[in-house]
Amino acid sequence: MKILNLLLILAVAVAIPGTINRTRARLAGRRGIRFFQHLYDVRVLLRKGAVYSTTTSALFRAVPSVYLGAALVAMLFIPVGDLPAVLAFDGDLIALAYTLALGRTALILAAMDTGSPFEGMGASREALYGALSEPALLLILGTLALLTGCTSFTDLFTVGCEGRYTIALLLSAFVLIKLVFTESGRVPVDDPRTHLELTMIHEVMCLDYCGVDLAFIKIAGWCKTAALSLLAADAAAAACCPHWWFAAPLAVVLTGCSVGVVESTQARNKLVRNTTFILTIAALAALVFFTAYLLQLNIVLS
Amino acid sequence: MILFLLLSFIAVVAAIFAAPLRAKAWVSLALTAIGAVAASVKAVGVLATGRTVRLWCIDMPMFGHDSGSMDGLSALLVLVIAIGSIAATLYSRGYLAHHLPTKSPAHVALHYTSLTLMSLAMLAVVCSDGGLSFLFFWELMTIASFLLILFDAERPEVRRAALSYLIMMHVGFVLLIVGFARLSAVCGSASFDALPAYFAARPVLPLFLVFLAGFGMKAGLFPLHVWLPEAHPAAPSHVSALMSGVMIKTGIYGILRVTAAVPALQIHTIGCILLGLGAVTGLWGVILAASQNDVKRLLAYSSIENIGIVLLGTGIAALGKAAGNETVALCGIAGALLHTVNHSFFKSLLFFGAGNILSQTRTTSLNALGGLARHMPVTGLLFLTGTVAICALPPLNGFVSELFVYSGMLTGIAEGCDTLASAGALTALALIGGIAVLAFTKLYGTVFLGSPRTPVVAEAEEVDALRIGAMALPLAGILAIGLFPQYALRLVLAAAGFFMTIPEGAGELPAVCVAVCRTVWILIAVASCLAWIRRRLLRGRDVRRAATWGCGFTTPNVRMQYTGESFAEGLQAIARPLTHDRCEGSAIGRNELIPGAHNFDIRHRDRIGTLFSAWWVEALRMLNGRVMRLRTGKINHYVLFALAFLALIFVLSTFDLL
Repeated sequence: MKILNLLLILAVAVAIPGTINRTRARLAGRRGIRFFQHLYDVRVLLRKGAVYSTTTSALFRAVPSVYLGAALVAMLFIPVGDLPAVLAFDGDLIALAYTLALGRTALILAAMDTGSPFEGMGASREALYGALSEPALLLILGTLALLTGCTSFTDLFTVGCEGRYTIALLLSAFVLIKLVFTESGRVPVDDPRTHLELTMIHEVMCLDYCGVDLAFIKIAGWCKTAALSLLAADAAAAACCPHWWFAAPLAVVLTGCSVGVVESTQARNKLVRNTTFILTIAALAALVFFTAYLLQLNIVLS
Repeated sequence: MILFLLLSFIAVVAAIFAAPLRAKAWVSLALTAIGAVAASVKAVGVLATGRTVRLWCIDMPMFGHDSGSMDGLSALLVLVIAIGSIAATLYSRGYLAHHLPTKSPAHVALHYTSLTLMSLAMLAVVCSDGGLSFLFFWELMTIASFLLILFDAERPEVRRAALSYLIMMHVGFVLLIVGFARLSAVCGSASFDALPAYFAARPVLPLFLVFLAGFGMKAGLFPLHVWLPEAHPAAPSHVSALMSGVMIKTGIYGILRVTAAVPALQIHTIGCILLGLGAVTGLWGVILAASQNDVKRLLAYSSIENIGIVLLGTGIAALGKAAGNETVALCGIAGALLHTVNHSFFKSLLFFGAGNILSQTRTTSLNALGGLARHMPVTGLLFLTGTVAICALPPLNGFVSELFVYSGMLTGIAEGCDTLASAGALTALALIGGIAVLAFTKLYGTVFLGSPRTPVVAEAEEVDALRIGAMALPLAGILAIGLFPQYALRLVLAAAGFFMTIPEGAGELPAVCVAVCRTVWILIAVASCLAWIRRRLLRGRDVRRAATWGCGFTTPNVRMQYTGESFAEGLQAIARPLTHDRCEGSAIGRNELIPGAHNFDIRHRDRIGTLFSAWWVEALRMLNGRVMRLRTGKINHYVLFALAFLALIFVLSTFDLL
């Protein structure tokens, strides 16, 4: 069961970038690149040598492994639908948030290690946006804990919810998808396809990485996206059909299509608006929590 | 008892003053170690058996009964103090080595005497049952730390910081005296044991608030924290480490003791107060920390933040106790206690690191440092460990304690025990954690990474092995708690008995600890595997070194590097209301297309701190000047004052006004 869970997460991680590309291409009226093109790209990267900046220290070389390691471990906490997660204990909600934070911190430090003003810029933005999105993530996890009375992901999604909570669960899923946008650096917060270093956030932090290191960072990005999308899909699935065969494709479709559609139709935010955008997500999360609380109070009273 | 105290005091002073200049540190270390080891042995015994040990018990004429004992909480604090003071004294040997020729031997001897007395006084504070001996050791601790801050008394800012510290501590001290006197008047005993009886009979809130303010002054509670960011940069680094890592924990100790004595019926209000204060203290501390551009000021503000986290844990525990939810209470108190221990480890380590930076580069300004990790690799690595630990990231110890606090909040939400309060605290703690990452990546990134910003920094060398050895002590604690949390939990549970009866098997916490341990090791294993794969892949391939990619710009220089100020600029834009910005010089204007030379300096001062330099302080100072005219220095005037006072008393009592 746990192996199946892990394989499903990996499959979701591989499928999401392909789906995003496909959606974007279709909306633009193109046929689009191969579905697994990103895998070929990474294979090319894995075969390359490397160029390191003379400013960097050993930390710079260690970071890709830590970043990818953190992302992989974060995936271990995530259950797919009603399957049990590989690592499950009371409080793994927090472990997930902080494992992701470890990866982020590592990448920020690596960016600072190059001494480049551009990478400093990216690091500073990433640190700020990460700090501001943390409350939103934890409030949503708190909402899920409130609705189900559990503090472990596996229990959370297997215990099942009563019908009246559907709306709160769907809203949680909505906020989680918004968090996927910020955490994986997508439009409207960040644009992975921009060519201008001054406006980049995530991409500019790995400007000095190449070859194997860059491949690690790219894979870690997929894993992070998959982990958060699966959470969103689990929350949405818990409202109607809490099974793994529903949750896994839902994660791919939900993230793949929403990111693809948003990237094709919206412009990215001005950088100064990003903080407002993320704080709005946090406010939404608080609202969702309060809604869930009211729903729960209702039960206690009647 | 009193004789013993007096004798040991004289022995300490005599031994340190008599020792040759170079050996003073060793004498001080030996004396500290004797006290620390003796107390630790007792403490380990107490923690292992769970029994309270009586240490002293005397009846004094006039002052009445006084006793000291060691229970689990005292024992835990004793261990923290013992490790912290031994590390600090060991570190001081190397740190003060180059100061020795410039200071007089008496000056150095005074410093070491204070250092030793402070360590011993702290040990005694946490072992006193309250009342007179507690206040005596508390005051001894304050005076000793005041003298320690004054080491560089030539600098006016040091004198100012020390003075403000002394004044604030005495305001706190008066509050404590008031609290203990009230307790003694009602219950006939001024020990902590009498508190439950008092709280059961009288209203809880007034006395609790008096104690909270008194202890909070030491702990750095908002808004009483203003002395911390002034005193820490002024003091030598080992003193900052001792004060921030250990001394402020005595304030926490007091708050915990008083909170534990509140009966379950009234503890709900107390829990809400602690949660609110914890959230404000933590947020204020961390936002101000992120705005600072001085290594030691940043660390000082982060101490305030961590005190906030400990209070959040205590508040959650209190709410759990009020609701009768054992899991929540246990998670909260275990988190608070473990975070107290953890903070003492990583904050000592970080302040030692700051000391290394200061002694090798003669500056602690973020905007002058940079690239130190390549010149001081060991310090860099140790500082990085401290940074990861204080950001509460796995696999180090900060993660474990914050996980407990978070678990308490989440369980509170899940099981309907003060859902809204728990959710508020959860949000605050998440924000604190996020901004802490920002503050510390800023600190580590600008100080240790990138290129050196000044030539002096580029020539810095690694410090001596002695200081590294001193830093290894807290490092060992960080690693041990982070990698094997289940043993740390056992220690903390043995100490938590003062707050609540520990349920059989301690609920789910041991299982969580084992799971965390497994997770942490998986994380380490995965990351090392990946690092190994990366090495294998790169072997034999073309790996070159080149300049940092400047996005097409070919002559980048050091001044283009992101500074600490620019790194935190985004947060500054949001947090402007909290700080009072003081600018010198002029910034580059919007319309200056080709800017000329500018000299611009901006400092983000604490708004609460600036309150203390407002108009009313000036008014007070003028009033003081008027009153000082009475101090004529002539004995006949003073006799006259005494007579006038007596006459006043006489008149007042005749008219029955007294």
